[in-house]
Amino acid sequence: MSAADIELVDVRKVYRKGRNAISALDGLSLHVAPGSFVVIMGPSGSGKSTLLHLVGGLDAPTAGTVRVGDAQLEQMSERGLTAWRSRHVGFIFQMYYLVPVLTAAQNIELPLLLFHMTGRERRQRVRTALDIVGLSDRTDHRPSQLSGGEEQRVAIARAIVTDPDVILADEPTGDLDARTSEEILSLLSLLHAQYGKTIVMVTHDPRGAAHGQRVVHLDKGILDRDVQNDTHAATAAAHK
Amino acid sequence: MPLQLVYLGRNLTRNPLRTLLTAAAVALPITIVVLSSAVIDGINLFLDNSGKQLRLVVVNRASIVALLPEGYRAKLEVVDARRPIHVCGQRWLGGQLPNDPRPLSTLAADVDTFPAVFPDYLLRPGELEAWQTDRQALIVGRGTATQFGWQVGDRITINPSVPPYVPLQFHVVSTAPDAVDTYTLFCRRDYIAEELKRNHYMEDRVSLFFVKCRSASDLEFYRTAIDPFFANATDETMTQDEKTFMNQFITQQFDLPRNLTILCAITVLVATLAAANTMSMNFRDRLGEYATLKSIGFGRRAILATVQAESLAVCAAGGLCGALVPYIAFTYTRLREYPVPLIQQLQIRPVVCLLAVGVALAIGLLAGAWPAWLAARLKPVDAFRALE
Repeated sequence: MSAADIELVDVRKVYRKGRNAISALDGLSLHVAPGSFVVIMGPSGSGKSTLLHLVGGLDAPTAGTVRVGDAQLEQMSERGLTAWRSRHVGFIFQMYYLVPVLTAAQNIELPLLLFHMTGRERRQRVRTALDIVGLSDRTDHRPSQLSGGEEQRVAIARAIVTDPDVILADEPTGDLDARTSEEILSLLSLLHAQYGKTIVMVTHDPRGAAHGQRVVHLDKGILDRDVQNDTHAATAAAHK
Repeated sequence: MPLQLVYLGRNLTRNPLRTLLTAAAVALPITIVVLSSAVIDGINLFLDNSGKQLRLVVVNRASIVALLPEGYRAKLEVVDARRPIHVCGQRWLGGQLPNDPRPLSTLAADVDTFPAVFPDYLLRPGELEAWQTDRQALIVGRGTATQFGWQVGDRITINPSVPPYVPLQFHVVSTAPDAVDTYTLFCRRDYIAEELKRNHYMEDRVSLFFVKCRSASDLEFYRTAIDPFFANATDETMTQDEKTFMNQFITQQFDLPRNLTILCAITVLVATLAAANTMSMNFRDRLGEYATLKSIGFGRRAILATVQAESLAVCAAGGLCGALVPYIAFTYTRLREYPVPLIQQLQIRPVVCLLAVGVALAIGLLAGAWPAWLAARLKPVDAFRALE
């Protein structure tokens, strides 16, 4: 089990579309303590996903610094960032992005191909991840044979199988119904409460906010509100 | 099985029809490459054999279809008495069977010098004697004999494509089991001369002379000595060694090697474009997948290898089919007995098949290069944004 803190200092991100410059983040500074569960909220175009991409090393800031644990991301090469992501970050996407031709277990095993470990070790880790997300009985099912919630569980298992320091979830419940969304959010709360993972989740869903220790509201690329969540303690206690 | 191989295999069967059509688009050109190589091999074998025979070919300088006086033979034989040669005059007959449209390649040859000029014929017991005693004797290339189902002793009728234009009766005396040329038929020129005379055609002219020399130095001597000998005659000659003559004949008539090479290059290019199109479609279909793989830590090389491996696998499968089908067909079926003019028989060598599979792999590398590069350079953020 491991967790890392996240620190963004005066981060700007400008996208260029032809002659137009679009500012996605405008001098954002934020610190996320190790092992905390932070929910990022805000209207469309407020810079939520951009923030997640910068923290995950998928994109580079136009200005400012992004640190995750000991890694100063804006100083790393693309190759270095790719290798760093494989060991330190787990991604969960709204659209799951599972490989449709591989089974649930094989999808979860994919990130482990980047590690030097035996087939037995990999299979053991996959089994553990499947147990955690409650899909031990769906090992050999392909994504097309799973429900949306089950697919997202597989995606979560894929994100945690490498035991990353940080889990970044981009609208993980955006494509799910209310009941399944609650199950997924509970699963993320469980990962935070039992395994101490640093989780940053972007969501539009107000119910998602209840699962975070802290809710950060962005608007037009700047920090609008940063709220400690009182209901989280009760939720976390329930998962412990 | 390693997950990488499972992933490759599943990718190949993700869209089976697309994979199948792409493999077929590669297989067909590879078949053309293999068959073309076999044809070019056959021509080279034929030319190499011609080059070893120490034979010169003397034709009319005006044109290959213009005839030469048969009396030139006696003059040729005394160009240099210190360098003895054998001269065999031959007249083109061509021909067909009465009820069969397939063309025959029949030549009427001087009966006395034919065995000396073409020593790979009439070697079996009784063949030479039959050739010398039967004026209707016919030597049939073994490929042609197999094609028409002829055996020694058969009587056949040929309608010549040129004078005397009357059906001619022949007796098969040999199927030339030892000759390199499995296609050509040889009959006696004295028999044809009689028929020409009877039908009021000029009988004392030949299409060409084959001059058999004893050594390479003699061959070189006669190659340069004959034409000056007949300079300023009514029918001037053009003398070439047999390989040059045959090569020129092939080039003038249809230049198969060059045209086949061009055909192969074009079909390989088309196959490359087809395979590249498929790989590009695959890339577009899997944009999110590649972006995810990069997000979870797969580097450029791994992504590049994933795309290239798929392209190589499809093209290798197509290449193997494209090479194996003609190899099996022309090695283990009756197709191998089918004679082809000049080429004799299509013999497909395993090394040609291996080279063809190599060509298919090259197609795979080229076809996968652009989508692999795009996938390797893909920025996950851009891909996710495009998919939103």
